Amino acid sequence: MGTLENQIVRITSRLVAPFIQVYGIYVIIHGHLSPGGGFSGGAIFGASLVLVALSFNLEVGAKQISHDTASILESGGALGFVITGLVAIALGANFLANQSAGFPMGQTGQLFSAGAIFIITFFLGIKVASTIVTLFYNIIEGEDKSGDAH
Amino acid sequence: MGLTNHFPALILAILLGISFLSPILFRWVRKASAPALLLSLFLALVMAVYLLIQTTQVGEFSYYMGGWPPPWGIELKINLIRAYMLIVVLAVSLWIMVYALKDLEHELKTDVLGWYYTLYALVVASMAGMALTNDLFNLFVLMEICAISACAIISIKEDRACLEASFKYLILSAMGTGCFLLGVAMVYMVTGHMNYDLVNEYLPVAVEQYPNNMFAASALFIVAFGTKAALFPLHVWLPDAHASAPSPSSAMLSGLVIKIYAFGLFIVFYQIFPRSLLDSIPLNEIILWLSSMGIMFGSIFAMVQVDLKKMLAYSSIGQIGYVFLGIGLDDTIAMTGGFYHLLVHAIMKSMLFMCAGVIIYTTGIRQIKQLGGIGQVLPITMIAFTIGSASMIGIPGTGGLISKWYLALGALEIGRPIFVVIILASSLLNAIYYMPIIVNAFMQQEEFAYEVKAVPRQMLIPLIIGMIAIVFLGVFSRPVIVLLENGLQLFF
Amino acid sequence: MLIKIAHNYYYMVAILLFIIGMHTMLTHSNLIKKVIAMNIMDTAVFLLFVAVGYTYGGAAPIVTAPANEVLYVNPLPGSLMLTGIVVAVSITAYALSLIVKIYRFYGTVDYDEICLIRSQE
Repeated sequence: MGTLENQIVRITSRLVAPFIQVYGIYVIIHGHLSPGGGFSGGAIFGASLVLVALSFNLEVGAKQISHDTASILESGGALGFVITGLVAIALGANFLANQSAGFPMGQTGQLFSAGAIFIITFFLGIKVASTIVTLFYNIIEGEDKSGDAH
Repeated sequence: MGLTNHFPALILAILLGISFLSPILFRWVRKASAPALLLSLFLALVMAVYLLIQTTQVGEFSYYMGGWPPPWGIELKINLIRAYMLIVVLAVSLWIMVYALKDLEHELKTDVLGWYYTLYALVVASMAGMALTNDLFNLFVLMEICAISACAIISIKEDRACLEASFKYLILSAMGTGCFLLGVAMVYMVTGHMNYDLVNEYLPVAVEQYPNNMFAASALFIVAFGTKAALFPLHVWLPDAHASAPSPSSAMLSGLVIKIYAFGLFIVFYQIFPRSLLDSIPLNEIILWLSSMGIMFGSIFAMVQVDLKKMLAYSSIGQIGYVFLGIGLDDTIAMTGGFYHLLVHAIMKSMLFMCAGVIIYTTGIRQIKQLGGIGQVLPITMIAFTIGSASMIGIPGTGGLISKWYLALGALEIGRPIFVVIILASSLLNAIYYMPIIVNAFMQQEEFAYEVKAVPRQMLIPLIIGMIAIVFLGVFSRPVIVLLENGLQLFF
Repeated sequence: MLIKIAHNYYYMVAILLFIIGMHTMLTHSNLIKKVIAMNIMDTAVFLLFVAVGYTYGGAAPIVTAPANEVLYVNPLPGSLMLTGIVVAVSITAYALSLIVKIYRFYGTVDYDEICLIRSQE
């Protein structure tokens, strides 16, 4: 088993990880209200997963989110973005249109506002978080995986 | 408001969508992933043809992403030249993909095929985007997407040469995009806009007020696009990258990716920069001489190569020179020739790389001197190679002649016969390194010394289509030429 | 001339960084250093862009309802550079994973040594 230093790192990271994740989710869903958004929030969220995997080992990290799940989520997030754009076309406006397509605007300053931006930021968050995890796994495992990393 | 109005955005959405979908498809319904990619490329091509027809009827038109008009939103613009580029990109990439399905099976490991489709669709999507977009920053993002995915379709083969080549390519193209972004920053500083048309509107004033800024920007743009498109002194990454990649990737990179950057330079020079800037500093002169040197040295380097794919790669450096020559000559006829060469070369160089791919697939040899007598065992492949080479040299009846003819006419028109001499000389050089291969392949008396697998039909059909296309372009060139002449009128 | 430069020192710093990055990228043989230099180069451009968008005395461009008449910093360059940073990150990640693979083949990340190893084969 691990030394004392190892224990400190593990306990701290286990303690801190949920808070980082909550903060990441906060940044993602407040993307249209405050600085931050899908990319920053997703990076924070992904970093927490990477932190756990680093301080324990790959198996524990993979228990949280496996490589396969991460790559499926990665594709799914990007697809969600495209589909949101297509929904706008289906509603009779231009690609990726927001208010003109009839997405509910809500009250400015409220959490559920800004129509499509909210949805897109959410998908972006998923995409970025899972991308960071896949990147990490790709570089760590490396051996038999493909060289593409995005 | 029908669905047809959204075609510019839908082309991109379909291509991006399929690129994200194909890893999932490959995981769950493996059989469907390749047909899905072909289908979406085909759909995009149909849309592009529709856009071309529409733009011949109504002229130039725009599509606003998200419904936001120019100073705020991203604008996609369709005119004849852009629709032409779009069709070239989509048609050639569909054609290469048909060939690639069989070739990739033996060049790549099976489990990365899904990722290859993703990357392939991303390359095509970014190139289609570059042809459509009317926004400088959007162009930058698309260039980066194209750069990463183009590197990745080289490195996906994962042997040493591929990894090194793609790292070299990555570093140099990162330098190129860095320079481009700095150039965009310079333009943004003085105009405050990213949209091509708005930049063009404000630049004439800005050039007078801040000339140094614009000189720096134009130098940066030339370096950026020159690196990306392998303009002569900046071509060092190309031979390794194109030679070591899997054959379909080589066909893609040599056939299309370098062309789209030449198109980017054309857009920057003739749509963004005002005439006063082009007249006040000899930008075109720089392009002209660099491309002439590229044409000569590319051919000279190609002569000394022993590896077939490397020879083809060096030949690309020479051939991209013709496209730049057309841009630099600043004359409608020459530019028509340049753009025609863009199409012809996309087809013939892709076809030659496909032939090389077939040779590697069936026999496993890459050296030129081992090819003696191969014409007897791979007749159709070598006939395709012959027609491709004939078009490279510019023999009558092939597309290569038409483009050289128009380039030469244009050079004479503006009174620069020296470039006619260069075109003729390079045709001769092309003949010097292509003819021996053909002669050896067909005329040698001895039996072909290596074991030969049967050529799959899936690989032969694209080659036959390519042969027909090249001869067709050589005989019935008029429609494309007329289209290009009409399209280029908008820029003068 | 000097006064002009002193007034626009942020542009000068950005250009200087760009040149440092480019020079390091093209001349150093260590692949990791090349990637670092690439990032320096990109960051220089981001700095330049953000500097272009800055307004003296401007506030952060967040809409606090109802809109009041404060001088805002131009948000466009900032948001564009966010995209630029994403692109730079992905290129860096890709380059690093390539380096990992190259290292596995050659046991070194120095380009000169790689050339040496190749020439001996």
